[in-house]
Amino acid sequence: MKKRTNWRKVTLYSSIIIYLFIIIFPFIWTLITSFKTSGEIMGENALRIIPEVFTWDNYTVLFEKGILGALKTSFIVSMSTTLYIVVVATLASYAISRFHFKGKSLLMGLILAVSMFPQMITVGPIYQLFLNLGWTNSYAVVLPYSTITLPLAVWILVTHFNQIPHGIEEAARIDGASPLQTLVRVIFPLAAPGVFTTGIIVFISAWNEFLLTITLNINREYHTVPVFMSFLKEQFSILWGEVTAATIVVTIPTLIIVLLFQKQIVSGLVSGSIKE
Amino acid sequence: MKGMSFRQFGFILPLLVLISVFSLWPVLQSFTYTFFDYKLNDQQKAGLYFSDRFNLELFSESELYVTLLLEEDQASVTNEADLNKINQFITNVSNLANQLGTGQEEKVIKINDEEKEAVLRLYEEGLAVLDALQTYQTPNTENLTFIIEDIQNSIIPPNFIGLQGYKQALSDTRLFQSMGITLIFTSISVFFELILGIILALILNQSLKGRGIIRTTSLIPWAIPTAVAALLWMYLYNGNSGIVANLFATVGLIESPQDLLSTGTGAIFATILADVWKTTPYMALLLLAGLQTIPKSLYEASDIDGANKLQAFFNITLPLLKPSILVALLFRTLDAFRVFDLVYVLTGGGPGGATETVSVYAYKVMFSQTNFGYGSIIVMFMFFCVAIIATIFVKLLGTNVMDKN
Repeated sequence: MKKRTNWRKVTLYSSIIIYLFIIIFPFIWTLITSFKTSGEIMGENALRIIPEVFTWDNYTVLFEKGILGALKTSFIVSMSTTLYIVVVATLASYAISRFHFKGKSLLMGLILAVSMFPQMITVGPIYQLFLNLGWTNSYAVVLPYSTITLPLAVWILVTHFNQIPHGIEEAARIDGASPLQTLVRVIFPLAAPGVFTTGIIVFISAWNEFLLTITLNINREYHTVPVFMSFLKEQFSILWGEVTAATIVVTIPTLIIVLLFQKQIVSGLVSGSIKE
Repeated sequence: MKGMSFRQFGFILPLLVLISVFSLWPVLQSFTYTFFDYKLNDQQKAGLYFSDRFNLELFSESELYVTLLLEEDQASVTNEADLNKINQFITNVSNLANQLGTGQEEKVIKINDEEKEAVLRLYEEGLAVLDALQTYQTPNTENLTFIIEDIQNSIIPPNFIGLQGYKQALSDTRLFQSMGITLIFTSISVFFELILGIILALILNQSLKGRGIIRTTSLIPWAIPTAVAALLWMYLYNGNSGIVANLFATVGLIESPQDLLSTGTGAIFATILADVWKTTPYMALLLLAGLQTIPKSLYEASDIDGANKLQAFFNITLPLLKPSILVALLFRTLDAFRVFDLVYVLTGGGPGGATETVSVYAYKVMFSQTNFGYGSIIVMFMFFCVAIIATIFVKLLGTNVMDKN
């Protein structure tokens, strides 16, 4: 009997190790390549594990090409999206969770439908609109980001607000608080973990956005990291040294966010999609 | 919204404004585009026109050049009648320009039939002048030909085409090919993601050491931008130094490492593999959350009844996990169906269109060819498919929810 559990454990842990290896290997290999010279990357010894010549050149070139600028743009874009989306979604979700009004289920259905739209359907008219308003190549790109992030945020937040007991507001109202005061002073502190989770999920979605930036912000100055990286490709030959170095530089912030907030991310993903 | 105070309505107003302007309006607008031959790079079609319009900017430009060039050419003209003809033409051009109002802010204006007739008459007159100039050696004849053509081109015919675009789409083999590729990509990748996701979730549901590490690791592929993941895999797949391509060639999956991205089957396989790598962990986490809601007591009871693990899986786990699976499947299917970043960066739709999904095709038509009319039709087909997929899943989910009640 003891032997059987041991075997079970061995299979279990070895499958987990294989799984972890498959997930992590691409990054490790990329990390190794990023320290190789371009001669070695394309040469015969391309598959060597330890670089023959260890070099920082790929990173130096990358910084000259302005990856820091792209990181900054990404950060500005994602941060501002997170801030305004969280405010808008918090207000709306609170109303959906607490107020009684006609057409509430219609509104929720609409929000769900928007989250299902193919993004490509909105891009054409938004491009026209931005062209007419002279908003291309600007941070106004965060406004159409609402199509991707707002439904998600509302969905997660409604779940969270529904978990907060209604009696609390009753008490606040008897004490003479207005709905907005109730939301800000009473509900918000209780909902803060949910709001924070929403913020993280929105931030990551905005950080990963590609289509809107590549169509609306042609100017390099406004390229976010994913678009910046896709342009490393648009050359005669692909410079793998730079691409791999960029992958590493870009993965680091993601890694930090995931390490710090994994609990919130998982709870956000789950409440965004499972508890309907 | 009835039953709501004005103040309460303020809570949802920002949401309504954002959704209306950046989600709903664009969809309606895209739908409108489908009825027009709307091309941004074609001056005559860069708008939605039901009736004749007039390109004032182009016309005033023509007026300027007609005057300049003809005055220069006049010097070589000897015949009195021809000279009169030319002068008359110059006067007519500037008269019409004044009448239509050059120098206005607006570049394109509406014109009525009478004005259209006048422009066309002017064009005829211009052709006659050109004819007359043939007999002389004038320096600007060639340029004038173009400029007089531009007088006619100033009239912008309506580009409303009704359902013609849809008709074109129905016989567009590239559209159907991309639709097929999208379906293949979606069904195969979602299938593997689901199977592997369930297995992973079952493994992760065991009491294990190092669960935190596993969870963190699982989140990384999901959290990195798709465009970055695509580049990462592009490197691993490349024919020279790509370790995955070399591995597959050694194992015998492909003949040579170059085949992975340069053959159609190889490229589709590569795209699916990258997608499975990126989203399986995410799927597993969603299903894991579903698994954790199943009470342990059920398994204990089945154990006492003498059921084995496999029976417990099919009789307890799977039925209770069904809602979670359906929701995860719905979102994954829709995501896979809309796939853009991954394909656009990894293969660009190539080789030879073998991985061109509907999104990539629509993007190319809209932004490379700037043909927004036809691009919108492609997007509408996609929208239609998404609606069907969503309806099927919502129906399935709906009955399930009722079962629970």
